[in-house]
Amino acid sequence: MTTQIEFSGVNKHYGAYHALKDINLSIDKGSFVALVGPSGCGKSTLLRSLAGLEKITGGDISIAGEVVTMLPPRKRDVAMVFQSYALYPHMTVEENLTYSLRVHGVSKAERKKAAAEVAATTGLSELLHRYPRELSGGQRQRVAMSRAIIRNPKAFLFDEPLSNLDAALRVHMRKEIRALHDRLGATSVYVTHDQIEAMTMADHVVVLRAGIIEQQGRPLDLYDKPANKFVAGFIGSPAMNFLPATVADGGAAMIDLGNRPIRLTIPVAAPIGANVLIGIRPEHITLTAPGEGRFDAPVAFTESTGSTTFVSTATTPELMVVETGRRMVTNGDLVGLAFADAAIHVFDGTTEKRL
Amino acid sequence: MSETYRNRLLLVIALLLAAIYLFPLYWMYITALKTGSEMFATPPSFWPDDPQWSIFPFVFQLKGMGRFLWNSVVIASGSVALIAVLGTGAAYVLARYRNVWVDVGLFLVLMLQVLPASLMITPIFVLFTLTGILDYPRTAVILAIAAKSMPFFIVLVRATFMSVPMELEEAALVDGNSRVGAFWSIVLPLARNGILVSAILIFMQAFGEFVYSKSLIQEIELQPSSVGLNAFMGPNTNEWNRIMAFASIYVTPILATFVLLQRRIVSGLTSGALK
Repeated sequence: MTTQIEFSGVNKHYGAYHALKDINLSIDKGSFVALVGPSGCGKSTLLRSLAGLEKITGGDISIAGEVVTMLPPRKRDVAMVFQSYALYPHMTVEENLTYSLRVHGVSKAERKKAAAEVAATTGLSELLHRYPRELSGGQRQRVAMSRAIIRNPKAFLFDEPLSNLDAALRVHMRKEIRALHDRLGATSVYVTHDQIEAMTMADHVVVLRAGIIEQQGRPLDLYDKPANKFVAGFIGSPAMNFLPATVADGGAAMIDLGNRPIRLTIPVAAPIGANVLIGIRPEHITLTAPGEGRFDAPVAFTESTGSTTFVSTATTPELMVVETGRRMVTNGDLVGLAFADAAIHVFDGTTEKRL
Repeated sequence: MSETYRNRLLLVIALLLAAIYLFPLYWMYITALKTGSEMFATPPSFWPDDPQWSIFPFVFQLKGMGRFLWNSVVIASGSVALIAVLGTGAAYVLARYRNVWVDVGLFLVLMLQVLPASLMITPIFVLFTLTGILDYPRTAVILAIAAKSMPFFIVLVRATFMSVPMELEEAALVDGNSRVGAFWSIVLPLARNGILVSAILIFMQAFGEFVYSKSLIQEIELQPSSVGLNAFMGPNTNEWNRIMAFASIYVTPILATFVLLQRRIVSGLTSGALK
């Protein structure tokens, strides 16, 4: 695998505000990388720096082996899909698609041919002579995608392209974008705040917070071995349960759930007396009869979607349990909570790093 | 009070106010058409008994109005051209960049709008005399009008540019265009309506401009209609019908333009010309 995009020591300041802090990231050719994080984490800034729309204040960016740090966007040969799609309102779909070709001096006949080809693959053939205002949200999204793929760029950049679509269409477009990526063998960088999008679409997920890369790796590695509490809470839905605990002797930790301390064996070694956070994903806990699990807790409330039941316990902090299927428990019932050792994540109480 | 009743009442009030506002215009047209004796009749007649249509060609010939109107057109077109070119550039920069200097610039631009022409004319006159620009009086007036009306244009066109999303420009940049190219192929076409409407408003303003033309142009053959009309007036003027005929010939083209374009002007000023 050759590296297609490389950030080395990238910094970005807006006046006194430090938006990107020493970002090092290399992206393999042909891979699909998702930049994910809460709003204001710098993911969009990182993408816009790659496109050349933001000037970085330190470090270097290279695309296909060429340092592009000082180059304007037009010399970087990347294509970008914007959140608002940014379709040119005064141009027809065909003109929108071929704008970049026109700028690069491609002849009219070739432009028409290219537009027809791309439109055929993205299902826009019937719409080539419409204006963006005459299209639905999904169709506009397709035009934005087609405009990016028409010129075979060195990388595709996506800036939350699905956030303006309704839920059903979003799920559909997720698959379609990924299929398109595989068919073109392209290198894609995809910014999203939705961890599900990142997990389902990407080969490599980069989690950012406050301008720092918190963790990067394959989606399931992030899920299985989150490097810190932030990543653990961000990846996975509903979010991981965190229980403050104190390390006791014999490889155990004492959890305080508000009423009485509970002794729990932890799979890692830590100095006795240290404060730690025990993390358990809701989907890794199963409900049992009282006394048959690791400990018992009363039910505070339940929500059922038909296929899944969400159960919250009346403890401090509360625990969320996700059960597949329907579960006949009601508020106030005492239930046992069971989970495997492998499901227990332990984080340092102060640094919040994985132990 | 019911909804329809109130609406009707408001409509009547609006019509009444419009009638009061437009009465001088009506009086101008009918006075032009009256005979000498009818003009001074008491009580005045509100409709001429014997319309004197021949007064229009007569006054046009007598006063050499072709020359005056031509000068008005030259001055107005020159001002609009100058303002459109410089003002569009200035408005774009003021719309796209946000920092202290841009704020200072915007403040100064708005300041200029506050200063009345009659106040500015003395320093302008002195400056133009010293630099020799006064040897080209119509050019001098064009410059003076451009300086006065530019702020109005900039403020309007800046708002238009701000309604063009920055992302469109960024998309054009990523698509391979330069900033200048993106401006010409994306921003300018989208802002076209706003620019055109502002230019039309400036043209109409400049077409009727008086203070600078009166002060800076001595030669009769270079004066615009506004100054020509003023020259009609004297201490013992009683040729009201001729003055009104002159005024009618002068303002009718502007009125006609406005009526024809008013729908576009209003929509261009109020709407985002985008969606």
